[in-house]
Amino acid sequence: MSKPTLERGINALKEQIDAPIASFFSSCVHCGMCADACLFHTETGDPRYVPIHKLEPMRRLWEQEYTLVGRLKKVVGLSKKITAEELEEWQELVYNSCSLCGRCSMVCPVGNDIVYMIRKMREGMSAAGYAPEGLIGASTRAVEIGSPMGVTIKAVEAQVKHAEKELGFEIPMDAEGAEYLVLMSSMEIMNYPEYLQAVAKIMRQAGKSWTISSEAFEATNAGIQIGASDIARVLVQRIVDAAEKLRVKTVISPECGHAYTAIRWEGANLVGRPFNFKVQHILEVLDELREQGLLKTEGSEDSRMTFHDPCQLVRRGGVVEQPRNLLKMVASDFVEMTDHGIMNWCCGAGGGVSANEDAHELKLKAFNRKKKQLDELEVDALVTACANCRIALEEGLEENEMDIPVLGLTEMLAEHIVIEQSGKEE
Amino acid sequence: MFDISNDATFRQALLKLAPVDARIVGAKFVESVVPLADDQRLRRIVDVASSSEATEEELEVSRKLAKSIMVDTYTRCGADGDWNEQAGYFVARAAAACLAPLEKGKPGGPAWQAAMSSRMARTSAAINAEDGAESESGKQYHILSDYLETRERETS
Repeated sequence: MSKPTLERGINALKEQIDAPIASFFSSCVHCGMCADACLFHTETGDPRYVPIHKLEPMRRLWEQEYTLVGRLKKVVGLSKKITAEELEEWQELVYNSCSLCGRCSMVCPVGNDIVYMIRKMREGMSAAGYAPEGLIGASTRAVEIGSPMGVTIKAVEAQVKHAEKELGFEIPMDAEGAEYLVLMSSMEIMNYPEYLQAVAKIMRQAGKSWTISSEAFEATNAGIQIGASDIARVLVQRIVDAAEKLRVKTVISPECGHAYTAIRWEGANLVGRPFNFKVQHILEVLDELREQGLLKTEGSEDSRMTFHDPCQLVRRGGVVEQPRNLLKMVASDFVEMTDHGIMNWCCGAGGGVSANEDAHELKLKAFNRKKKQLDELEVDALVTACANCRIALEEGLEENEMDIPVLGLTEMLAEHIVIEQSGKEE
Repeated sequence: MFDISNDATFRQALLKLAPVDARIVGAKFVESVVPLADDQRLRRIVDVASSSEATEEELEVSRKLAKSIMVDTYTRCGADGDWNEQAGYFVARAAAACLAPLEKGKPGGPAWQAAMSSRMARTSAAINAEDGAESESGKQYHILSDYLETRERETS
């Protein structure tokens, strides 16, 4: 990425001001409700972290360029010019102190989609060269290697072989005509390879055909996180090409929040045409299997458990009941956090925050909100369905000396799958 | 002679172990892969975990340290992954697992979790190596069989 300049920054931000952005800025009533919805603000008390304030350079630009009053003020020299120092300062606000969790958009009384605005601002900032190194590296690797963490197909094959050895049966790779194309996140391939084994075990019992693609195994989308639609498009197109080549009916997004947003909710718009396959999150698929009587479990966990809702699943996708239906099958002492479901509090690490080393300290401060939620419940275990949340939760718990294991829901279900009644062979 | 040649019997046998035995066997699994980790503290943790004379305090300190190493060594989202370092993460995870109290542990119990993470450590280390991964599961079956035989001799 070339050196940022003020001119590039202003032009890039101006390009992002579309009709929704203009209407959102003009309808903001400065009520401050978004402040109390943002964990970066509530946990630090720092007014710079009020969501709408994170958009201030873009707001001023909109006012100065596209409103009558703003133009007049500019002509008579009454408007405050945007400086390179400001853009540099706002890089932190737009990337480090926002996990794109969407809680602010939920509470805005005039319906402003503040996350949409932040993402547009990120588009401008990244085009202008104001983006964190961590996210630039992840985006480059995603495009060049196929994974933001540099996971190669050779590594995936090794993990597949490992899983096959553990399971005692084959994992289908590049199987044409399979019903499901299973995507993974690099986080799962590297940190939680048991996810793949869990999916394989469940699919086998359900008698469903599925496959992994050697050409598109990665579900995550660094382009969405950094705010670069062209990169996001390339990454989605890779999945579309693989799904069409293998003629699958459904693409399964893994236990990853933003991957689901990228492929399920934005994918078709990014590539500019409808998909000829369905996209579902793994929890949606598992709940469907449950409804169809294809998910048979035995035994349950007696320990007191709660569920951390990944923001992108509940707020973007409405996947609220599915995890609870699944948990009912295997958790006998399940309790809800306050503000669960669509108003759940973020783990603090989404939207590229975890890929951004500069945001580390702030992320741990933001975790205090989750700590308060967990302190109220005194649970023995915490379940979630996003590998990034899982790591962030483990990190936050460790920082606060809280001894609570964090479990992935798909893996937990697989632990209780009835092996004797396994379904058809692939 | 204990015939443990597959994961079903392996897991069953591990679940039947008394908590102290589960910890010691789990530590033996970790010992097999601990050379894959750079962090020397993990060797000391394994020594404590595999000792039948370790005090509650020593075990608790070791468990917390293993967990802390584990959290420090995972590959964070979007970072450029290194499979050799990742092997170290799994060794730390295995060490933390074998020291986990039963009620706080993950499914299968501490020794099973330690076994699984140790196997993942071996697979991770093999990804960058030219030769394939050694069979950690076979080694673990031997470790458990030997342990059970020794225990049986001691009690008879």
